[in-house]
Amino acid sequence: MDRKEFYKRLWVDESLAEVTGYNPYYLSVNSGLNERLLVNGCKMIDLASNNYLGLATDSRVKQAAIEAVQKYGVSLCGTPIATGYIDLFQRLEEELASFVGLERTVILPSCYQANNGLFSCLAGSEDLIVVDRLVHSSLIQGIKAAGCKIRPFLHNNLNHLEGILQRSSSYRQVFVVTESVFSTEGSVAPFKKIVELCEKYGAMPIIDDSHGIGVLGKSGRGILEEQKIEGYKGIYTASLGKALANSGGMISGEKRVIDYLKYYCSHLVYSTALSPAVLAGISAVLDIIRVEFTGIKHKLISYQRQIHKALIEGGFEVVAGEAPINSVQTASKEVTFSLGQRLYAKGILSTPFIEPSVPLNQGRVRLIAGAGLSPGTVDEAAGIIKRLGAS
Amino acid sequence: MNIEDRVINSVKGVLDKRPEVTLDSRLLEDLLVDSLDKLMILSAIEDEFGLEIEEEFADVHTVKDIVVKLKARGF
Ligand SMILES: Cc1ncc(COP(=O)(O)O)c(C=O)c1O
Repeated sequence: MDRKEFYKRLWVDESLAEVTGYNPYYLSVNSGLNERLLVNGCKMIDLASNNYLGLATDSRVKQAAIEAVQKYGVSLCGTPIATGYIDLFQRLEEELASFVGLERTVILPSCYQANNGLFSCLAGSEDLIVVDRLVHSSLIQGIKAAGCKIRPFLHNNLNHLEGILQRSSSYRQVFVVTESVFSTEGSVAPFKKIVELCEKYGAMPIIDDSHGIGVLGKSGRGILEEQKIEGYKGIYTASLGKALANSGGMISGEKRVIDYLKYYCSHLVYSTALSPAVLAGISAVLDIIRVEFTGIKHKLISYQRQIHKALIEGGFEVVAGEAPINSVQTASKEVTFSLGQRLYAKGILSTPFIEPSVPLNQGRVRLIAGAGLSPGTVDEAAGIIKRLGAS
Repeated sequence: MNIEDRVINSVKGVLDKRPEVTLDSRLLEDLLVDSLDKLMILSAIEDEFGLEIEEEFADVHTVKDIVVKLKARGF
């Protein structure tokens, strides 16, 4: 045993940042998500955050958070099973459940944690988990932790999925796991059809609606509303840190499932509850969505189209998606970083994805123009993108 | 169909958008297979040959290695 050897193994490969002269990770941000974001002291256009609706700095949301701090302080210093279950927490569970149209909800400190804790709690070695090949790391890690058989299916490929389900009748329970909006691609799962397949084969559907909640559906209620899925009998998770502009993760479903998780999901039971400011902030965002969603969504879609058009005119290859995301196909990690760097140099913050966040050599640069930006800022971003492509 | 072609077809079936698959294709270097792709390949092999695969296929490096493992299991 040698501790020096231990430290030597902890080596971060920074060669890509050295070659491209750009490291997009852990940039120092010196402001909130305002019209311009201060990054390393420079004013940038934010096409990187998941602030889809632009509510992260909304004055009504801030005010709700401030009032909650004044009433409850900054933390209850306890897990939800202990002192963390304040009335705000309980009310928000009910609000979220009714927002997505499911019986019950439980709230965790993050959706990463929700996705991580769910499977080891509900599935065991006699079960099978069938999962879309492109789902988020939090689901993959959670699924692996369950210790059951895993079968990935080709991205959004119903034939492949059904083939697997047909051959999987010997398991105690089969779970089918996918996302609504695949955030690196902007593609949307044919979830209604997946739910129908699950019905046919007795499988349990599980959907991560992190990029769908507050974005999809006529009134922003997410994938179930968008695809008119009624009487959903599966499990639903979502992040509260994207369109809902705060932080946290929710798991929703039938009462029996949620009651069980409340006692047996260690990721919930042993982790400090979300703080009052966040709980109140989410609730305020839901109130705004109920009233203003149509207008906000209209802006979001028109910005997405404008950026899409600029990318196409600039000669970029854009993945065809249905969500308010533009994802540029950059293939190699060098090209991916280099596009991120060129955008950065011109004042646009983007999100480059390289493996393992995406399959090998399927790099992407994602651009999200949130509804909080002004039309002038989006015009400016579109202009920069077009010129960048031409140069 | 011989065992080699059955393996190649199984691999092709789950690797969309990849270059040509031959017996000598290396999973990682040539076919850019990551851990989830590998799980999909092994699942496809399980279905094609009607067997359960456990740890014994963990170290396959090329398509041919899969054929060798299958032959060792009596196929
Ligand atoms: C699809 C998906 N699921 C889960 C998460 C994790 O959510 P959270 O940030 O709330 O932990 C993310 C966020 O990155 C995501 O994109």
